[in-house]
Amino acid sequence: MDVSEDLLSRARALVGSQGQPLVARHAVGTAAIADWCDAMGDDNPCYTDPEYAAKSVHGGIVAPAATLDIWVRPGLPAQSPSGRRGDDPQSKVIALLEAEGFVGVVAVNSELEIERYLRPGEVLQGVQVLEDVSEEKQTGLGTGHFLTTRTRYSTTDGEHVGDLLFRILKFKPGTGSAPKGEDSDTPKPPPSDPSMRPRPAINRDNQALWDGYRRHELRVPQCRSCKRVFFPSSPRCAECGSFDMGYLVASGKGALYSHVVVNYPQVPGFAYPIPVGLIELEEGPRMVADLVGVTREQLAIGMPLEVEWLDSHPALEPGATDSQGPITLPRFRPATPQRRPETRRAAEVSEGEQLPIWVLPVTPTRITAGALSTRDFQDVHHDRDLAHKKGSADIFFNINTSIGLMERYVTDWLGPEVLVRALRVKLGAPAYPYNPLTFTGSVTSIDTGSGRAVVEVTAKNKLGSHINGTVEVELPR
Amino acid sequence: MTKHTYAGKAAIVGIGATEFSKSSGRSELQLALEACVAACEDAGIEPSQVNGLSTFTMETNPESEILRGLGIPELTHFSRIHFGGGAPCATVQYAAMAVASGVADYVLCYRAFNERSGRRFGAGVQGRPAGVTAEEAQFSWTSSYGLLTPASWVAMFATRMMYEYGVTSEDFGRVAVADRRHAANNPAAHFYEQPITLEDHQKSRWIVEPLHLLDCCQETDGGQAMLVTTVERARDLKQPAAIVEAAAQGMADDQHMMRSFNRDSIVGLPEMGTCARQIWETSGLAPNDIKTAVLYDHFTPFVLAQLEEFGFCKPGEAKDFIADGAIEMGGRLPVNTHGGQLGEAYLHGMNGVAEGVRQVRGTSVNQVDGAEHVLVTGGTGVPTSALMLGVAR
Ligand SMILES: [Zn+2]
Repeated sequence: MDVSEDLLSRARALVGSQGQPLVARHAVGTAAIADWCDAMGDDNPCYTDPEYAAKSVHGGIVAPAATLDIWVRPGLPAQSPSGRRGDDPQSKVIALLEAEGFVGVVAVNSELEIERYLRPGEVLQGVQVLEDVSEEKQTGLGTGHFLTTRTRYSTTDGEHVGDLLFRILKFKPGTGSAPKGEDSDTPKPPPSDPSMRPRPAINRDNQALWDGYRRHELRVPQCRSCKRVFFPSSPRCAECGSFDMGYLVASGKGALYSHVVVNYPQVPGFAYPIPVGLIELEEGPRMVADLVGVTREQLAIGMPLEVEWLDSHPALEPGATDSQGPITLPRFRPATPQRRPETRRAAEVSEGEQLPIWVLPVTPTRITAGALSTRDFQDVHHDRDLAHKKGSADIFFNINTSIGLMERYVTDWLGPEVLVRALRVKLGAPAYPYNPLTFTGSVTSIDTGSGRAVVEVTAKNKLGSHINGTVEVELPR
Repeated sequence: MTKHTYAGKAAIVGIGATEFSKSSGRSELQLALEACVAACEDAGIEPSQVNGLSTFTMETNPESEILRGLGIPELTHFSRIHFGGGAPCATVQYAAMAVASGVADYVLCYRAFNERSGRRFGAGVQGRPAGVTAEEAQFSWTSSYGLLTPASWVAMFATRMMYEYGVTSEDFGRVAVADRRHAANNPAAHFYEQPITLEDHQKSRWIVEPLHLLDCCQETDGGQAMLVTTVERARDLKQPAAIVEAAAQGMADDQHMMRSFNRDSIVGLPEMGTCARQIWETSGLAPNDIKTAVLYDHFTPFVLAQLEEFGFCKPGEAKDFIADGAIEMGGRLPVNTHGGQLGEAYLHGMNGVAEGVRQVRGTSVNQVDGAEHVLVTGGTGVPTSALMLGVAR
């Protein structure tokens, strides 16, 4: 019997074993729910508005479905070596594998099944069963074993509220497929740091607009005399003849009027190919700007857009406000889909229906808030220095944040009183800061009899597919 | 109806060009002088008889150096036209006005550059320090977002044309196929004996979507010149005169340099419409009188828009007009019989003016029967110009 067979048999001996019940340190609470909602940007009133919730299908405030597995988490103290308990079957297998060099870890799948929504005041416990240890597999990250656990959640009164199937990969770092060799025939793309883009020519006629951009104000020229709004700037109003030029701070909302995708030539400051839009602002004028978070296939004339800001160039001279000063550029992403105030009925939803594109800017704050509000204190989700040390390019979303955002995306679209029955995701590319995530989704099945529907969701960034998931819901009939 | 009073009083009497190449191996000034000398020889006059010059503001060869190089004792007229490729027909217009009004006797129109081996316009406006001029300020509204090249600006209009008029990339491709078919017959063309199919066009790589590589003109080293004088003097010269029946410049409605994105509609070319109105009014001609045209083709989409602006078809119908080979030899209106700037060479449209002259003389490699009046246009999307050349009576 070689080492790997011996390891596998020792690990597999633990399959089917069950850990001690893990009891939550604190009850489900409205403050924690509200923090979660803030972190996910989920303003479904069933979670935070007692009056609304009382009249809803829930009859009172409930915790979002995606929070099922956060309440029994051991919290920050468990992150210190002395705080590790390790008496659950997964920890025991991990210890076995790590002793043989399988020290890398990555979450692969999470499947939450929701029996019922949780209410403030309830105290949860979870019982974990080791369901499977795979044989050694070669993966992109390295050779490793997949560990599958199932955790059954109930109240301390013993009422079953839901289940979690969770799969991780324990792998040997450095044994993955070698990074793709540099193809010497392919010219290297130029560096894409936006500070290398051409600087705008700032002069007396357009100074106010570029100053506005620096303050993240989308200013458009406006005649102070006749109030005409136009673009780009001119010192004289062609309508009334006035030289008294001011500006209007635009709402930042608009629609795509035309678009291109630039492939060549490739110059420093851009990551090619780049989609560029001609955006018609709701105030009327059209302007050219970067389009963010959309692939060329998703570009559609008329699509609603909203502004965001790229602080592209640092100042070349301290205090300069001309083209040598700091430069900020407006850019546009698909408009954030609005939360539907009324819940859709099953009969109103059809198979194949597409959800609107949702492009979410990913910032360190969002990553950290997401991790902490899901009570996940692993350093790689909030500490950039330690994330670097552990071989990661940056801090990244924890899986509960990704799932929480997926839940928000689907429930915003279907309405506040849709009941989430299951949240299943397969994890892919990490979600690092400054890489916007683009959510798309479609209804893959709908049963108007039971009101049950399945919505397929993907969230992608420049690195690839971050999550592929399904949300199973129950709609009012 | 306003008719230009100088119309019909001047003619192009000489054309001259260098070879068109990707690397000329000599200075831009030498290219300019060679082309100017060739135009004078074609007409049968001495370069020293020239006393007027007209060229582009983008031209790097100043009139003083042309004067020195040609041995011109004195110049009484020298003029420049702005806005890049919009200028070619306007150089002839200024020359025609100068000779018709007695300001000058012989005016050379010239343009020469090492646009391929030297500074390439297709490389865009990168690397230039930001200034403070009005022109630089307007560039900034696209350059910081990556629209740095003519292709990137034209593509923005093309997407909207596709959306509003149902034009397809194949429709753009038909322009390229026509140009290359004509170039295949032209020994002076870079793409001599290299026709393409619509499939070649569709397979060519993206430059700026929706524009493929084969929607874009070439980049060329070379020089082209034309000699203009009065119709009276023309009668004593070597070549049949190509009469300047009409010439026009046009700029219109919230004009920008290939970036007029804030017009009510961006699927037309109002500045070319301004030219078209003057050309038809002054020449007294109508689209049905025209058997061939040289339509500026730095990028294919605007060839369609020009057919509409000149009234060869209604707005939005150019795609139907060209569908059955109408702009190829044998069709209703063969366009760019020299191969255009996609097929022959990119000389800022000056080589297109020369082809207009050849059609009037009856010496084109793709001669169109009954080409008594030939329409030639300047750059599209920019403030521009147009010409109607005709056979002397
Ligand atoms: Zn005004």
